[in-house]
Amino acid sequence: MTAKRLRTAIVLAISAVFLLAWAFPIIWSVLNSFKTDSDVLAYPPKLIFSPTLDAYRDVLFGSGSILPNLISSMIISVGTTVVTMLMAVPAAYALARLRFRGKKFAGFYVLTTQMLPPVGIIIPYFLVLRNIGWIDTYQGIILIYLSFSLPFAIWLLVSYFEDIPFEMEEAAFLDGASRLRTLWRIIIPQVRGGIAVTVVFVFLNAWNEFLFAVVLSGNTVRPVTVAMFNFVSVEQTLWAKLAAVSVLAMLPVVVLGVVAQKHIVKGLTVGAVKGGGRR
Amino acid sequence: MIGRGQVKFRDIVKMHGEFAALKGVNFDIEPGEFFALLGPSGSGKSTTLRILAGLDAPTAGHVFIDDKDVTSTDARDRDIAMVFQSYALYPHMTVAENIAFPLEMARLPKASIGPAVQDAARKVKIEHLLDRKPGQLSGGQQQRCALARAIVRKARLFLLDEPLSNLDAKLRLETRAELKKLQRSLGVTAVYVTHDQEEAMTLADRMAVFMAGEIQQVGTPAEVFTQPNSIDIAGFIGNPPMNLVPAHYTNGDIIVAGRRLKTAADLAGEREVIAGLRPSALRISPDGLNARVDLVEDLGDTAVLDLNCSGTTMRMRVGDHDVPREGDTICVTARPQDIHLFDPTTRKRL
Repeated sequence: MTAKRLRTAIVLAISAVFLLAWAFPIIWSVLNSFKTDSDVLAYPPKLIFSPTLDAYRDVLFGSGSILPNLISSMIISVGTTVVTMLMAVPAAYALARLRFRGKKFAGFYVLTTQMLPPVGIIIPYFLVLRNIGWIDTYQGIILIYLSFSLPFAIWLLVSYFEDIPFEMEEAAFLDGASRLRTLWRIIIPQVRGGIAVTVVFVFLNAWNEFLFAVVLSGNTVRPVTVAMFNFVSVEQTLWAKLAAVSVLAMLPVVVLGVVAQKHIVKGLTVGAVKGGGRR
Repeated sequence: MIGRGQVKFRDIVKMHGEFAALKGVNFDIEPGEFFALLGPSGSGKSTTLRILAGLDAPTAGHVFIDDKDVTSTDARDRDIAMVFQSYALYPHMTVAENIAFPLEMARLPKASIGPAVQDAARKVKIEHLLDRKPGQLSGGQQQRCALARAIVRKARLFLLDEPLSNLDAKLRLETRAELKKLQRSLGVTAVYVTHDQEEAMTLADRMAVFMAGEIQQVGTPAEVFTQPNSIDIAGFIGNPPMNLVPAHYTNGDIIVAGRRLKTAADLAGEREVIAGLRPSALRISPDGLNARVDLVEDLGDTAVLDLNCSGTTMRMRVGDHDVPREGDTICVTARPQDIHLFDPTTRKRL
């Protein structure tokens, strides 16, 4: 009994250390976002302070409001997610189901796009976008995001489609359904979990993306990850405002994570168990 | 309704790469018939059903339904309903939605779908389960749901791919009887795939016996049982299957294990044959083959004996009275008309 208790205590202690390491930056940001700039820089750090919403008021409604940037981020992320899913679902279904020439090659190609280091392709992407005049446009950034979210989404979805037995479709065909209707009415409802997981990942990747955004965006389209750096300058860093923006930028992610938590956990384990099931 | 669901298979070949799954299959199914495709696994019976359903395309040959060539017609345009071995129920839909699905696809007005679903569910006695999801049903209930989905549309052909194989033994017997009644009451043509010869014997009006990608025999269960036309069928049909023993034939008699038995054959001359004797056709008599009883399997109302007739092993079925004991030596014989003769080289019936 005591040995069991001891083990539980050790497990809890280790978990607590990891939890703290992960949670500390978040807690620190949230605390700082409610401080004044002088409180942020106070040494030793003040744990008890009079909270203020000044930082939030400034970053949302002040002269350098980041509201347009939050909206930009939202347009880019939702746009990327919608277009990705519209293309990835049929593509993954085809890779999982249909027999066609070059299927193996297509599957491998999808995977290889994940192996390139982003830094290596950022200059060519910049040149391409500049030549077609899509720098600092929504379509430009969404197009570039698609180039890595689409292969990832397809790769993730294929294993979910492969889990559905062939007889499902055969039964639907015999019941008089066309292939599109079968996909829509029979197959997609059964991979809902996988689709939810994919949506979350694609959205998060687009929302958090910084490297491509900083190169390919400009004054018209500037996502919040890039805009945040307005608060860091050579002379000073506006820590309270920076913290407030980070908290605001985290909110949609946290909401999405909570909503989709059940699906994510289930989806990740499914993928983990049968990751090798791909033909 | 009557007169629908006639099927003709003409020289159907199915190749999987180099392997011939079907080597030229021909048969006809009459409207309203309960037709079984019987054979061991890998014999091509399921492939035949899939080609009939339109789920697989034959490499060569033609399929006719109601005298129309449907070889290249899509499965969904063939007006065929099918019950899968796995049932293939749609797990995200309720039982009612599952049954309604084929009607929805046929674009029936909503007002007529409800009553049709009720009607189909009542026929298979699951009307109290309509709001459940398939995952909440027992195996037997799932099977009925799959049946209801198949019969709701009144398709011209009703295909069943080993529908009873996932049920336990008792339920299988009950469902078997109900299936037969259901098919009779609907008057629909049914094609039934099974590896269980008892199922085929009890359900089918006629059956085709598959062996290694070919049909070996087509006929009523009684014909196939009493007149098996090859050694392979004789060894497959019947439980336990027919005893097949090498014998020497001379002018109507055969010599088995050194003893002479009379047969009904009227072939002239002498030759080597394979003699087929059903376990139930063997009987104990004062004279005949001497046999030692090696093993007695008591089945309650009958018993199956393993016999050793001077080196030749045979099995025999006896009634529950006067069962010999293990180690006894008995004398067995068979009536002339119960002795089947086969050619050892062509393996065909003589």
